[in-house]
Amino acid sequence: MRTFENLNPIAAAVYFAAVIGAVMFGMDPVMSALSLVGAVAMFAAVSQGRSRPWFHLTLAGVFLAGTALNPLLNHRGTTVLFVLNNNPVTLEALFHGAANALMIVSVMYWFGGMSRIMTSDKLLYIFGSALPKLSLILSMALRYIPMFARQTRAVNSAQKAMGLYRDDGFVDGVRSRIRVFSVMVMWALENGITTADSMEARGYGAARRSFFSIYRFTARDALVTALSLVLAALALLGQALCEPVISIYPWLSALPAAQWPPLIAVSYAAYAVLAALPVTIWIGDELRWRYLQSKI
Amino acid sequence: MEILAVENLSFTYPNCEEKALDGISFSVEKGEFITLCGATGCGKSTLLRLLKREIAPLGEVSGRITIKGRAQETLGTAESARLVGFVMQDPERQLVTDKVWHELAFGLENLGTPQAEIRRRVAETSEYFGISGWFDRDVAELSGGQKQLMNLAAVMAMQPELLILDEPTAQLDPIAAADFISTLKKLNRELGQTIIIAEHRLEDVIPACDRMMVMQSGRLPLCAGPESAAARISEIDGLSEYMPAAVRLFGAVREAGDGRCPLTVREGAEFLAKNFRADITSLPEEKYAAPESAALEFREVWFRYGKNLPDVLRGTSFSVGEGEIFCLLGSNGSGKSTALGNAAGLLRPYSGTIKLFGRRIDAWKWQELYKNNLALLPQDVQTVFLKNTVREELAECGGEERLPQVVREMLGRRKGLYGTHPYDLSGGEQQLVALAKVLSSSPRLLLLDEPTKGIDARAKGELAALLGELRRGGMTVLIVTHDVEFAARVADRCAMFFRGEVISGEPPRTFFDKNNFYTTAVNRMTRGLYSGVVTVEQAAELCRLNGRRSASDDSDTQ
Repeated sequence: MRTFENLNPIAAAVYFAAVIGAVMFGMDPVMSALSLVGAVAMFAAVSQGRSRPWFHLTLAGVFLAGTALNPLLNHRGTTVLFVLNNNPVTLEALFHGAANALMIVSVMYWFGGMSRIMTSDKLLYIFGSALPKLSLILSMALRYIPMFARQTRAVNSAQKAMGLYRDDGFVDGVRSRIRVFSVMVMWALENGITTADSMEARGYGAARRSFFSIYRFTARDALVTALSLVLAALALLGQALCEPVISIYPWLSALPAAQWPPLIAVSYAAYAVLAALPVTIWIGDELRWRYLQSKI
Repeated sequence: MEILAVENLSFTYPNCEEKALDGISFSVEKGEFITLCGATGCGKSTLLRLLKREIAPLGEVSGRITIKGRAQETLGTAESARLVGFVMQDPERQLVTDKVWHELAFGLENLGTPQAEIRRRVAETSEYFGISGWFDRDVAELSGGQKQLMNLAAVMAMQPELLILDEPTAQLDPIAAADFISTLKKLNRELGQTIIIAEHRLEDVIPACDRMMVMQSGRLPLCAGPESAAARISEIDGLSEYMPAAVRLFGAVREAGDGRCPLTVREGAEFLAKNFRADITSLPEEKYAAPESAALEFREVWFRYGKNLPDVLRGTSFSVGEGEIFCLLGSNGSGKSTALGNAAGLLRPYSGTIKLFGRRIDAWKWQELYKNNLALLPQDVQTVFLKNTVREELAECGGEERLPQVVREMLGRRKGLYGTHPYDLSGGEQQLVALAKVLSSSPRLLLLDEPTKGIDARAKGELAALLGELRRGGMTVLIVTHDVEFAARVADRCAMFFRGEVISGEPPRTFFDKNNFYTTAVNRMTRGLYSGVVTVEQAAELCRLNGRRSASDDSDTQ
């Protein structure tokens, strides 16, 4: 189960690039709405029941601010709602602001969900496929930085228990910190020598390095990658070739669904499928489990 | 087949008069398990590092090293890196990457092994070493024992012909160390892996090895099978103290014609039962009365590191009397160090009281507490050092005059160290300098966290003597340790730390005699024959009092 997380990182990265890229280039309110629904559903699924009130509140704030700010700065449009400081506030500008804010908020939800799925080792794998040297350096840094922090804390408390470190006054605190930092530089160098020996002992630099990772690129990864690219292309193609179905200026109007050009309908359908892909995969796997269990 | 041959190898470090290695010759057959022992500074590490070309020290070398019949310098870089595997002492510092699987693959990546091949080797290695359960974890989450096992696996994934280990268990607790050694035995037995290991902790290694090489000041005076080498060890000055308990006891009571030297607890017990009478079963009891006034008192102390984390101390209660040496024994992760952090006022319990010299610890002012009252020597003694030389370290804390007489004498015998960087000292020397620095605040209560970690038998002996001397000067010492042999030697009282609780608190002879597993090797050896014996000296004393069995004793029993 949880197969979307277990995709090859490259497939997952392509998916996120496609779904986020399409909504950002499309600049279409309907796509933004579809994107938001898909993103929130995925975010809820990866949060696994943990509610994140602050994240939601912040994004609600972003939405409100984005919606409110546009009509204050932009006075295009013909439907005047009211006049503020001799400037008209129009319905069209308000809608425009809301549509843009919707797109931004949906993108932020995508990023929120992505950060749960694309963990550091997956990002490293993506870098590593392109630049193996860089990936090794990042991997070493990821081990080193927390270790440095841990050792600094240990030195601080050791010095404190000897009566040589104090942080109760500002000046004393800074002086103590400087003393500890200087010894930490020494410690890091010393540590580095042993690590370098260990690398050399295991043949670092002896031959051209190969690259190993625990991720494999399976048929399923290929399918997700191809699907992401095709659906995003279809979505953008419709937007590029047809007039938008919702026109904002000079006055807000929308084509009735019956008069939509077929290509636009295809575009929306493609994007809806794309945005719903992670949740579809999860639900599909969940159902499959239920089915398998009922047979056991 | 000969894997390694060393002929007349000598080595001198730059700017040094003395030779670090002097005319060493030996050869190693395929499948041999060799233990290299000797005091700290005898040249063990230098020899082992010279065998591994990539990390050989710089200096003047003469003599020849031949690996699989080829001179060391003629091997190609990749070949040389693969043929000889090297595991170092510090489990943490020899790590390179942040993930277990990446660490296992690192060497193979360096050699340019194709992906599919790496995948298979990494998989089978991690299965063999039992790593699969934590294969995709961060290395930072592992215990010391797990890290060292992973280091071994990472080297073995490269399929070396010769495996060299330089004190691999020095930083591990006894259980992890025994596990590590048994993995080596398994490698040797099941795969015919050729192994050379330098070790301080010989209890487990010596019975497993085929040959012991004993080094002394750059020479190799003894190289023989473990039994004959152990029997002849007393010929070499001051090396007996490094030997397992059975060998030391044998050395103390042996007579001509005693035959082969016992190496394990079982052989030691057989040797005693066969040769000594048991008319007197125990030494006279020394009554120990714990001092009336407590230097440190824990009453129902509860502690956890965070709101949602589990309790580490769970109603810990114990008290350390003024002027006694109190040992808190327990395995790694049992919360011993946390208890010490609480005792030192570095961590605050959420419930319960800690009293220091009769006063609640939070009522002490910072300056009063850490000047003249309490000092803590942390497990990693390097955290104590802040300066570039030992001289500056000692000057920083107010000069040597403030140190107790016994510490000054011990430092005085090592004047040569004063210009050295503290990180360049041996484990035992670092311990001594750190202890001196901690003692400069003239504490009444000294807290020691795992003081025997990474130091050799001789340094342990010196530390035990030093602590005894400090106690005579009126100092109270609380030690948390998993080293039962050391606790048996120095403690006035011992207690067991288990799941955040302190269990019992008795003098070592009573404490260890009641324990079945968690006790010293000598105690296990004399069980059933004598009682209340925890050190080699006590056992030897009882043997002398009882005398040898004669032929008539044997006929009596039959």
